Parts: sequence; C-alpha cells; structure tokens
Amino acid sequence: MADTLPTLKKLERRAQDMVLTYDDDSQYTVTYDDLRHACPCAKCSPMRNEDDTSRTLRRQIEALPAEKPTVRTVGKYALAFEWKQGCSSGIYRFERVYDLANRRDPDRGKPYVHGAW
Amino acid sequence: MADSPVSINTPGGANEPPAGPSPQEQKQMEQAYAQMKRKMAMEEIGRKIKHKIMVLSGKGGVGKSTVSTGLALSLAQQGHTVGILDIDITGPNVPKMMGLDGRRLHVENKRIHPAQGHLGVKVISMAFLLEDEDTPVVWRGPIKLGAIQQFIGDVEWGELDYLIIDFPPGTSDEPLTVAQSLPDIDGMVIVTTPQQVALLDSRKSITFSESLKVPVLGVVENMSGFTVNGQAAPGTEVSIAAPGGKTLTATADNDGNFSVTLDIFKEGGGKDTADEFGVPFLGALPFDPGFVRGGDDGVHRIVSEPEGPSAKAFAKVVAAIQDQLSDGADGGLEII
Repeated sequence: MADTLPTLKKLERRAQDMVLTYDDDSQYTVTYDDLRHACPCAKCSPMRNEDDTSRTLRRQIEALPAEKPTVRTVGKYALAFEWKQGCSSGIYRFERVYDLANRRDPDRGKPYVHGAW
Repeated sequence: MADSPVSINTPGGANEPPAGPSPQEQKQMEQAYAQMKRKMAMEEIGRKIKHKIMVLSGKGGVGKSTVSTGLALSLAQQGHTVGILDIDITGPNVPKMMGLDGRRLHVENKRIHPAQGHLGVKVISMAFLLEDEDTPVVWRGPIKLGAIQQFIGDVEWGELDYLIIDFPPGTSDEPLTVAQSLPDIDGMVIVTTPQQVALLDSRKSITFSESLKVPVLGVVENMSGFTVNGQAAPGTEVSIAAPGGKTLTATADNDGNFSVTLDIFKEGGGKDTADEFGVPFLGALPFDPGFVRGGDDGVHRIVSEPEGPSAKAFAKVVAAIQDQLSDGADGGLEII
C-alpha cells in the first residue's frame, strides 16, 4: 500500500481498459481483464490462491465478451464495477485500484482464507 | 323498452345508477391507496433524514443493540438530531437501554410519534407496542414485514441528521425489507466480536450487503478487550494471568497506577475480517461491564460517563463512519 494514496480524480472507461488520473497528475491504464482478475469478492479471491486456479480464473475472464463496466463509488472508500456478464460482486478499495495501476499485487501475497460458505 | 331484458343507463335517465365497487373491490382499492400513501411517505421520510445507517451482525449476542444505541448517543453528543428504529421485533431492547422502558407510542392524525430518550434521541421500537415485556411476538413473515413498513412509513421522525436502524441478528427478511422500502440508505455497519464463530457470520453479513446493494460502511469489533486498572507501589511490575495461557505484565507508574488489557476472546479478528473483504475497519469497542449495568438501569454508559473510555471509543467509531458517509463521498471523481 502506498504510504500516501493520491486521490483518484478521473476514471475514463475505454473499450478494453480504463485510464485513471490522480490528483498528483499521475496517470495509469488498467485493463479490464486485470481488473476483473483482481476481483476481491469471496468467490474470485480464493481462485488466486494457487497458480493453476488463478490461471483458470484468468482464462474465464478472457473468454468473456469485451464490455465497458458501469462504475459507481461505494461510500468514500471504494469503487464497484458492474458487468453484464461475469462477477460484479467485488468492491475495490481505492488502495486496491492504485495497486493495480502500479502493477503491484493487490492481495499483497496474502492468500485468501475461506469464510463460512 | 320496459320489457327489454337489457337496461341502459343514460345520464339523468330514470334507470338505476351504475353499481359501485363490491365490498371486496372497495377493500382492495383502500389497501392500494394506503400502500401508495405509505410509499410516498417513505420517500418523504427518505428526504427528511440525511443519513440512514443499518446496524447488523451475523450472530446474536455480539452487542448490536448496545452498539446501535452507542452510535446514536455518540452522534447526539456531537449535536446531531438522531433517531433509532429498533426493527428487532422479537427481541426489542433498545427502549430499555435508552431509559424508555414501559413507554407507549403517541399516535396523532394516524401518524406515530417516536419517544425521546437520552440526549433527545428519538426511538421507535416494537417494545412500545407490547402489553408486557414477557409476551413474545410470534408473527409470521408477512405480518412482520407489514409492521416494518408501517414503522418506516407511518412514523413522524421530522428532520433527522441520522437514523440508526437496529436489526435482529442474521441475514433474514428484516434488512431486505428495509433496504427495499427506505430510499438512499448510506450503508451498513457490521458488529462482530473477536471470536471465530462471530467472524464467520460477519462475513456472511458482508456478502449479504452486496446482494442488497447497500455498501458496508465498516466492521466494528465489540467486546474487544477488558482493561484491568489497579494500584501498586510505584515501579512495581505486576503480572496477570490472561486468557490463552498468556501472562501480561505492567509496571505501576509514579502515582502507583497500572492497567492491563485482557483480550478475553481474541484480538484483531474484526480488523482481519474487514481486511479480508476490503471494507473499512471502524474500530474496536472495549469489553465494558458498565454497558450491562447501564442497559439494565436504562442509563447508557455514554450518558453516565460521557468522557469515559467507552464514550471515547464510540466517538472514534462515529468519526470513522462519518468519514465513509456520502457527503462528497466520491471526492469529485469524474467517471466517463
């Protein structure tokens, strides 16, 4: 996690990716495939624990038709992306989005531990 | 014509007037009208209340009503106008904690007026409708849901800064009904205790929020640690046997005071759950026996000791919630 997280000022949705502009004028591109592969929900997260299942998740995402998501803010801390197909459950904290923008592992190498389900 | 089997009504004619709706149709129309009025009232209420916060827990007994009342009182301490809606129909205990035990609701012009508890907090609870507190409410789903809608639509809250909605434990009908009836809910606060079983159920609540499309404002860990205060000769090192076979030590300060916090259940579980789901951790509330006494006596800990450690812990949680609320929540984010 960045020590001081810049504020996201603009999110431009393009056909295959989104361009993020922060208040320190830094600009990043995150592909929708990377974004969806990093979905923090309880269904997608465990699939990233192992390389095999992580690759399976990636292939499943890449097989989905290209689409622009609907984006909304969640409280003051996160973004949610709504897709016509595939998982829309994940709530992405701004730190997570910033990690993705900077090509850092948003899970910080921490495996997901299953809940009660 | 007089012999014709067909009767034709003409304006101002001599024939019988058209038959009105049957009693059954009349009843249906009245119900539809009442439903429409209630829906409009709910929208109006939604506009008059700036922030609506749901308080849930996956598991019972984690101190959810204590947290709800604590949040309401802490907000009221800041000078906000606050209401609590106690949706826990089968076990309503907010009135007792707010010093309103035995009160009855005031109804005027078919509108329900809330009772006012400590610090002017307005309270609506099923407890106000019970003949005596030992009588259980045994209602099937539709009646229960009708009562909830009535509690939302027919209550004259007036202008509120915050409405705290306290639910029964679990992920059942009640939060679903409220989320569908009350517009623009800011989010839900998940209350948990540090032990694993409560955390598992809290995770369910978090995923439940996703299905309701209500954001999680964060997780509060209740009964987090019990602080033992004592006195010994200045500089004395004191050892205390803590749960889990641990030994905690503290050194008495120059005035001879020492304090040690015992993690009676575990520590950090609420934060771990919040981190796991990528939702904010709002803070930990201490294990405070004063809450039990306060609950029984009808004087909440925040009222009896407004500068005490519990009141301060609540103030921190409230600050964290306010940080998440939607006033300018997107920070001017432009999405194109």
